[in-house]
Amino acid sequence: MTVKVEKIEGGVPHTTILAAGLIASVVCIYLTYANVLTGTQLFSFFGGLGTVAALIWGSHTIKHLCSYGIGTGVPSAGMIAFGSGVIAMLFATKYGIAAPIVAVVLAAVIGLILGYLANNVLNMRIPVMIQSLVEMAIIGALVLMGYAAMMTGSFELTSLTTGNVQILGLSLPSYQASFLGGALIATAFMLGAIAIQHPFNACLGPNWTQDRMLMLAAECGFLSMITAAIMSMPLISMSAALVSLFVAIIGWYYTYAKYIELSKRDAAAWLESKPIPDVEGH
Amino acid sequence: MSAIGAKPAAGAAVDTTAMVVGIIILLLVIGATYYLFGSGLAFMALIGIIIGGVLIGFGVHFVPVGGAPAAMGQAPGIATGVAMLAAGAGLAGLFGGAWAAELGVVVATITGAIGGGLMMAITCMFVNFIYVFGMGIPSASGKVTKDPITGDTQAEFKSQGTEGHGLPFVSYVGGVIGGLFGGAGGTLIYLMLLDLYEEELPAMMNALPAQIVPIAVTLAGMFAIGMFLVNAVLAAYNITGTIEGPHDPKFKRFPRAVVASAVASAICGIVAIMIVAL
Repeated sequence: MTVKVEKIEGGVPHTTILAAGLIASVVCIYLTYANVLTGTQLFSFFGGLGTVAALIWGSHTIKHLCSYGIGTGVPSAGMIAFGSGVIAMLFATKYGIAAPIVAVVLAAVIGLILGYLANNVLNMRIPVMIQSLVEMAIIGALVLMGYAAMMTGSFELTSLTTGNVQILGLSLPSYQASFLGGALIATAFMLGAIAIQHPFNACLGPNWTQDRMLMLAAECGFLSMITAAIMSMPLISMSAALVSLFVAIIGWYYTYAKYIELSKRDAAAWLESKPIPDVEGH
Repeated sequence: MSAIGAKPAAGAAVDTTAMVVGIIILLLVIGATYYLFGSGLAFMALIGIIIGGVLIGFGVHFVPVGGAPAAMGQAPGIATGVAMLAAGAGLAGLFGGAWAAELGVVVATITGAIGGGLMMAITCMFVNFIYVFGMGIPSASGKVTKDPITGDTQAEFKSQGTEGHGLPFVSYVGGVIGGLFGGAGGTLIYLMLLDLYEEELPAMMNALPAQIVPIAVTLAGMFAIGMFLVNAVLAAYNITGTIEGPHDPKFKRFPRAVVASAVASAICGIVAIMIVAL
C-alpha cells in the first residue's frame, strides 16, 4: 500500500494548514472561556468557530492520508478520528482550564500508538500514516470539545454533566439536561465525523482542487454548527444560542455561495437549473 | 512511482519486531492499571475491554466487506466499507445488549451478540436479494473453487474478468458470525465501563447513584462506540478494505489484528478508566 495515486500540487502546503488549524481551533475554544470571565454565555459561538477551523484542517489531513490508496474508504478515516478523539476529549475535560491543551497532548499520544499499530503491526507501510492518525485524533478531540464548549458555554466536566431544569420558576440542578447526560455528545460525534469525511469524499478525483475542498469543509462545518446551535438552546441562554445560530447561518451562507462559485469554476460546463423548473407551454 | 509499476501491498507478512513491541505496550498498560488501581473493578474492566476489543477486531475478518467493486458487481461482499458495516452491525448489537444490561454480563453479552448477528443476517439477506433479483447476478466466490460449507462449485457462475460477485453461502455465514463477535465485543466494553462508572461516579460527583445513571450510560456508551470504531477501522486496515469472508486468504492475517486491537483497546481503556479512578 505504498502507491500514491494523486499528488498535492500547488495550493497551501499541508504544514501551513496544520499549524493554522491547530492554533485557530485551540484559540477559538479558549475564547469561550470569556464566558467565565464576563459572566455571560454570549461567547459560546467561538467553540463552533473552533470546530470549523479543525474540520478544515481535518479534511486536508484526510486528503493527505487517503491519497495513498488505503483501501478502506474515506469515511473510515473520519470514524477513527472521532473514535480516538472522543476518548481523549472526555478525559481532558477533567482538567478545567487546561482541558484543550490536555486533549491535544493526550490525543496525540493515542494517535501515535494507533498510528504505530496501523503502520507497523498491521504492516500498512504508508509514510504519512503515523502523522495523519496523530492529527486525526487531535482533530477529533478538538471538534468534540468545540461542540461541547458551544452547547454548554464551557469545556469543563462539571458543566458538561450538570444542567438546570426550570420547575415552577425554580432552577434545579439536573444531570439529565446536560451535554453528557442528554447524550448530545453522540449527536456531536456524528455531526463532526460526517463533516470531516464528506469534503474529500465529495471532491476527490482528477479535478480535485484544494480551495474547493477546503471551502466545502468550511461549509460542512457551519452546517453542523447550525444544528449544534439549535441543540444548545436548552442548555445555554436563548440569546447566546441565537448568537451562535446567527453566526452559523451567516458563515454557512457565505461558504455555500463560495463553494457553488468554485464548483462552477472547476466544472467543464453547467446548466443553470432551478429547484422547481418552470414548465413552458402551459 | 506509477500505480501500475508499484508493488502490491505488504500483504500477509508479519513484522515480528512490531508485534513484540505491541505486546510489550499491552503488558505495560495492564501492569500500570494493576499498579494504579489494584485488582479491583477497574482492573477487571480493563481486561473486559481488551477481550471486547479483540472480539471486535477478530469479528470484522468474518464480515464480507465488498466496497466499491462489490457495488458494481465485480467482487463478492456487501457493497460498502468496514466503517459503515461495523457501525451498523456493532452498534445494533451494542444497543441490543444495553437494554439487557441489568440482567447480568452473560445475558447482556449474548443479547448483544444476537443483536449484531441478526442485523448482519438481515443485511446479508437483502444484499443478496438485490444482487440476485435487482442486478441479475448469481452468487459466486472468486477465492475458492468450492464453497467450504455447501460444497457447491463456484467457477461456472463466476463472470469473466470479475473476482466473483454476490454473497455465496459461506460469506453469508461469515457475516452472521462477524456480527455475533462484533455485537458481543461492543456490549462487553459497554457493560464493563457501565459497572465501573455506576460504582465510582456517585462519590466523584457527590451525587446519588440514581442521579448519575444518565451520565454513566452516556460515558460508557460513547467510550464503547469510540473503541468499537477504532478497533473496526484497525481491522479494516489489516484486510486493506475488502474481504470475502472466513474462506478468504486474507483471513489468515487475523493474528496481527488481534494484537493491534488488544493494544488499542488497552490504551483507550486505561484512559476511560482514569476518568473516574484517578
